[in-house]
Amino acid sequence: MADKTNTIFRALDRKAAAITEFTMRQYRTKISTWVVLVTGMIVICLLMLFYVDAMQRDFESIDNDGDSADSDGDLYPDGQERLYGTDPFSDQSHPGLFDPPVPPDDPSKWIDEDDFDWDQSPSGTQTVSVGYDDDGDCRSRDTDSQKDTNDNGIACDIELSRDLDGNLRYSSDAFVDEDPDDDAYAKEALHRASILGIGKLGFVFIISIFIPLFMATGLIRDEMTSGTMHYMLTKPIARTEVFLYRVLGYIGIVWPYLILLTLISAIVTGFAGPGDSLFRFSEFGIWLAILFAAMLATLVYGMLFCFLGTMWKYGIVLAIPFAAWELGMALLSMGVPESPILRFSIVGWAMVIVDSASMIIWPDMDLLISSGYSVEVGDSFGFEREELIGTDALNYFFATPGLGEIGPFLSMIIATVVLLIQAIVLLFIGGALFKGKEIE
Amino acid sequence: MMPDFHQEGQPEVKEWVPEQEAPVILIENLSKTYGKIHALSGITLALSGGVTGILGMNGAGKSTLFKILMGKLKPSSGQVRLFGTNPWKNPAPYSRVGFVPEGEKMHDWMTAHDFISTFARLDGLTRDEAKLEADRVLDFVGLADVAHKQIGRFSKGMRQRTKIAHSLVNDPDLIILDEPLQGCDPLARTTIMNVIRELGRMGRTVIVSSHILSEIERITEQIVILHHGRLLALGNLHAIRERLDNIPHRIEIGTQAPKDLAKSVIDIQSVHGILFQSDSVLSVQTHNLGDFHNKLPQAIIDGGHTVTSIDNPDDDLESILGYLTSGSRL
Repeated sequence: MADKTNTIFRALDRKAAAITEFTMRQYRTKISTWVVLVTGMIVICLLMLFYVDAMQRDFESIDNDGDSADSDGDLYPDGQERLYGTDPFSDQSHPGLFDPPVPPDDPSKWIDEDDFDWDQSPSGTQTVSVGYDDDGDCRSRDTDSQKDTNDNGIACDIELSRDLDGNLRYSSDAFVDEDPDDDAYAKEALHRASILGIGKLGFVFIISIFIPLFMATGLIRDEMTSGTMHYMLTKPIARTEVFLYRVLGYIGIVWPYLILLTLISAIVTGFAGPGDSLFRFSEFGIWLAILFAAMLATLVYGMLFCFLGTMWKYGIVLAIPFAAWELGMALLSMGVPESPILRFSIVGWAMVIVDSASMIIWPDMDLLISSGYSVEVGDSFGFEREELIGTDALNYFFATPGLGEIGPFLSMIIATVVLLIQAIVLLFIGGALFKGKEIE
Repeated sequence: MMPDFHQEGQPEVKEWVPEQEAPVILIENLSKTYGKIHALSGITLALSGGVTGILGMNGAGKSTLFKILMGKLKPSSGQVRLFGTNPWKNPAPYSRVGFVPEGEKMHDWMTAHDFISTFARLDGLTRDEAKLEADRVLDFVGLADVAHKQIGRFSKGMRQRTKIAHSLVNDPDLIILDEPLQGCDPLARTTIMNVIRELGRMGRTVIVSSHILSEIERITEQIVILHHGRLLALGNLHAIRERLDNIPHRIEIGTQAPKDLAKSVIDIQSVHGILFQSDSVLSVQTHNLGDFHNKLPQAIIDGGHTVTSIDNPDDDLESILGYLTSGSRL
């Protein structure tokens, strides 16, 4: 066995440590580094402020089914009259005439009185029956056919199934889960939409592309332009090594920075998020996935932009159209995650990681989105479809991983492997290009 | 494999073994072209040991030659070998080569010691070894007392010396210095020249470029003259000088009345020709510079002339190059 202190790995490792350290220390001396990092921090802090503001707001409670109204003026809300079987449109018929008489309810009791009880999700061709008529306005109806308007043989329920594309379909009996807690729903939906939106667009796209754009493009190029590359390259070291160690130095700054930003965000959303507990630990997983995706994205983009910078003096000019392409792909990944064109991007793969994690951490996600769309708003005279606040935002930022029917865990592993391969390929292309480069 | 965080142990045994018989530098029929511009054409040269001065005007191809030697530029045709190895293909010979690039750009934010020890680690030294090595080379170039000051605050001479110290890490056998004296004050020049001569005495192969003949003269007698990318002359400086003595020298004398002065000067025997260059300059041609310089003061006094300047433009490299290329000039 070779002497442990004398292997080629030790020597490599000394060179790696020297250039990596040097690169990190060099970043410290550049104003641009600080401008970029502070700007990124400000962007994330602003987004967090918007988030906290949304969480602090009280979303107006809407009487979605209109049964807090007193249509006949007998002081009994329509909902209470329906529950007791009296005629809500006649002031001669109300529970006050019962023996003993029932006192009228405060109308506010009939707002948000029938929240979602969607506690099960169908898989495959399965159908499940969910929902419970909390306020009794379905259960108190006269006939069985009135109680079972969706014709599935179960009174006062909601039937959930999936269509061929796997999208959730719901079919509800009348007056079941029809007046949910708007404020609670909006907060939960906006909370999740914010994490996904800030995570996917803020971290995995904006931070992950702009930081390497400004920090990695000059890793080799600036040294070549200024002539200081000679000090490094007159040593017995292969240029591919220099390329790799410079990128490692960049990673040495960017990854801890990403960890810091993610930690701040996770703490803010943990404390400010809705719920009874002081801190929502359950969402650390999604932040971890966002961090992981952003780390891989900054690595691949770092290699790419360093390579573009090495290739041409104005490498940043080449990087900008690429960034525009990636922006398109980032947006596409949220609307059409299964689009094959996404496989020709970096951000598309990084998003798969976040989407997979969101499926694992929030298995009830499609229930939440569908229920937000299931409510109709109106009164005794008619209803119209209107989604709850937060539903659209959540629906926009949430996407399935898009790699087909392989499940979130496998999707995440495949995306990770693809991103690592992209990084390695770019390292070798960049290294080979640098090797053939004449340095004036 | 755990990273060597403590940076302990010996540097690795070098895999690369230089060819025993090969000259330190071997250049065969080397050409470098940029489009239609010939930066270097048909250079053939072998060097081993001693200090060699590369003389040439700005743009003569000195830096291009050095960058090809250091594997930074690729030859358009011909061959370059350092210790028998092609430097463009294999960076291994650099463990035995030190290079002082031209230009002033350095990592100004680092201290001299920091700069040298950081890059010394690329030679496979550990952190501690690199620090000791930096101490040693900085002491060698006389910067030990400012080793921990920022390079950004250094004078030009100190910067050049820092670059030289950087090139001396790992005790190389070949040191290439591109215009190490440029921009330095006289004191720094002397120090740097002493360092270069000392390296030569230590048996290293040193190549130093300059566009100023008198500087090279003070360092070495072995010179190579490059002109427009061609190797113009090669060998002992004195031998080249002797050739120059057979060629007329030119002296320019500034005076208010060139014609009056000409009458006095024409009587000096060694004067070979006179030219009225302008209303205030008389140009004199001579075969014997020493004799002319001896007799000129007396001629001026006897004639009662007022002389504002005496110039010897032949002393500059341009004139020598002119003689070497065309054989005569006036």
